[in-house]
Amino acid sequence: MIQLSYLDYIAVEGKGFLHRLSPKLKIVGMIFILFAIVTVRNLPGLFFLYLFLLCLYFMARVPMKIFPLTLYPLIFAFLFIFLSGFQLFFILLIFLKVLCGSTGVVLLLATTPYPSIFSVLGRVLPSSFVMALFLTYRSIFILLNVLEDTQHALYLRGGVQWRHPWRSLTNISNAFGHLIIKGIDASEKMYEAMLLRGFKGEIHYRRE
Amino acid sequence: MSHIHLPDGVLPVWLWALGFVVVILIWMILVRLMKKEDLTKRLPLLGMMAAVMVLGASVEIVPIAYHVNLTVISGILLGPSLIFLATFVVNVILALFGHGGITVIGLNTLMFSIEGALGYFLFHLFWRLLRRLGPAVFLATFLALTVSTFSMIGVVSLGTSHYEELIHQESGKGIIGFEFGKEKESHHKEGVPEKEVNLRHFMAIILPLGFIGWVLEGMITALITRYIHRLRPDLLRLNEETR
Repeated sequence: MIQLSYLDYIAVEGKGFLHRLSPKLKIVGMIFILFAIVTVRNLPGLFFLYLFLLCLYFMARVPMKIFPLTLYPLIFAFLFIFLSGFQLFFILLIFLKVLCGSTGVVLLLATTPYPSIFSVLGRVLPSSFVMALFLTYRSIFILLNVLEDTQHALYLRGGVQWRHPWRSLTNISNAFGHLIIKGIDASEKMYEAMLLRGFKGEIHYRRE
Repeated sequence: MSHIHLPDGVLPVWLWALGFVVVILIWMILVRLMKKEDLTKRLPLLGMMAAVMVLGASVEIVPIAYHVNLTVISGILLGPSLIFLATFVVNVILALFGHGGITVIGLNTLMFSIEGALGYFLFHLFWRLLRRLGPAVFLATFLALTVSTFSMIGVVSLGTSHYEELIHQESGKGIIGFEFGKEKESHHKEGVPEKEVNLRHFMAIILPLGFIGWVLEGMITALITRYIHRLRPDLLRLNEETR
């Protein structure tokens, strides 16, 4: 959860060479990586692609703190081991494909602010979809503050404890309920604020 | 474990491409059917609920190491058409965080929206039958998650011939293989032991984990709905059905 805002922070504040590259170019690069993940079917090819992405990661000076994010999808890839009946080649192939995909995506996100990505997507995707993406992105940061406050309050008051699983579950659920109600209230205020600022069904981005 | 975030490069191209086509078609139909003013007015709410789902997916419940989807409660609050749009947005954002593949956004959206839309309809059905909020929400969530897990297994099983191809690739040649809808060929050489895709093992792992997830999410969703009913009963629109 905290990585969400940290990722956004380093995308905006980072000074690596990938940060200075145009978002359009980086998205095209990501499409090429995806094409390689889908089409390359041998281990050395995928291994070299992964090495190349790792080199980019370190050259772009992306902090190591977010590196575990690139390993997270392995949890889901692990399930495919059982599908293959423990075939080593298949397992390595899937793991490398997953690692290449997640490293590519984290590299893109850690070096490109979300609004820049949405701005590029806005040229090819329907405006309603891009607007929904942008509003969700805004809402994440509004709700993140509410969630962090609620989480702190919950932990400080001993709201989550192993010894009382039912009480913990009730408290966690109430926290989510609180988040939803706050979110709905905030969405009503957000719409009114947008109307006051002349919103007529479209959000305009600065083409930077 | 009601769904898994399928990674890139695992599923055959035809399958994930079909997922995108279906999702884009549904999106176009829904946007056409909804009034523009209505959609514009509800977009902030859609964004907020999508954000709640993204945050739900990123908050791990420490003692039990599980993260909730919140698709059913979002479906109940947004309705079946908006939940589809919301899950599409959620999957795009989650994929951009490496939480699920980019190529499988379409398929993941279909699975998420099955959960949300089915949850909405089942909740209203059980509410009419039982008139008790907790059991109605729990049953709706449990059944919606069960169906979405089986649909995920169904999607994975559709790619069986592709996994076999990948397994037999070991003895194959070439770096690149782009086979669009190509049928399974005779990969088995004489004397070479046959390597089979084992869906049973896959299901044996997914279903018990999934069951824990269905029960947990069912309880959490029921408790969340109870909380919302206490503070803002208007959001659930239950009085309209009582009359």
